[in-house]
Amino acid sequence: MEITFEEKQTVAVLHVVPDRIDASVAIQFKDSFRDLIRDWSGPVVLDLQNVVFLDSSGLGAVVAARKLLGAERPLILSGLSPAVDKVMRLTRMNAVFPIHANVDDALATHGNASAA
Amino acid sequence: MTPMDLLHLREGAPPPHRTLGWDWRRRFEACAEEVSLELVGLNQTLTQLGLPIEKLFMLELVLAEILNNVVEHAYADRGGGPISLDLSVRDGWIFCTITDQGAPMPNGHLPGARRYTPEEMALGDLPEGGFGWGLIHDMSDLLTYQRDGDLNRVSLGIDLASETI
Repeated sequence: MEITFEEKQTVAVLHVVPDRIDASVAIQFKDSFRDLIRDWSGPVVLDLQNVVFLDSSGLGAVVAARKLLGAERPLILSGLSPAVDKVMRLTRMNAVFPIHANVDDALATHGNASAA
Repeated sequence: MTPMDLLHLREGAPPPHRTLGWDWRRRFEACAEEVSLELVGLNQTLTQLGLPIEKLFMLELVLAEILNNVVEHAYADRGGGPISLDLSVRDGWIFCTITDQGAPMPNGHLPGARRYTPEEMALGDLPEGGFGWGLIHDMSDLLTYQRDGDLNRVSLGIDLASETI
């Protein structure tokens, strides 16, 4: 799955390019995510602004991504569409992630851009 | 029993005259890629019918969960098989029936909703699955399952007028 990597000082921003994370691509999502964060030691923002559909398999893959980072590297979500937000709320998995409206908000809270 | 009959039972009302509706029938192979393509196509078609986007998302999600359960569980032992999807929009409801020829539901019943309290869980214990039936129950206003010979038949209804969660 196409996910682009953008380094923003201490924070890695991963932009999900496709508009769906569903059962047909959940494994590819996990594999791409794992490859991208392998050598990254800081926080990660997962930008979901393109994603209009997330099913339970896609959610499972996002949780797996969280676990891959371990306790020392936070995973922050940004740009949730109403549909994605609903899945996060109904499953209560919104309690697991810091969630921001967009990448800029996420970086303002979790990055060090203000110190630059 | 059709979902319409169920609705009448639930509401205790005589069957209303059936207003002209819209019907859609699809048959496709049980695999995740086919399910994804079918759902995208269905969503585009229903969007053109002018149905509310919020309800369409609920329908797409509930269908994704039910259809992927067929792929991953009902047909798990035989590596695939056909799925039929019947959908109609009438009388302010979306009705759907999903039919497959796979293994029956465990214990012959629809699984219940599994709920997690992730805020109380250690990172390593967080669930990577098991969300599906909770979402299916949350998204459906009507939901039934029948084992009919060698067939599984799940029927669901979404009330276009109900308040969305």
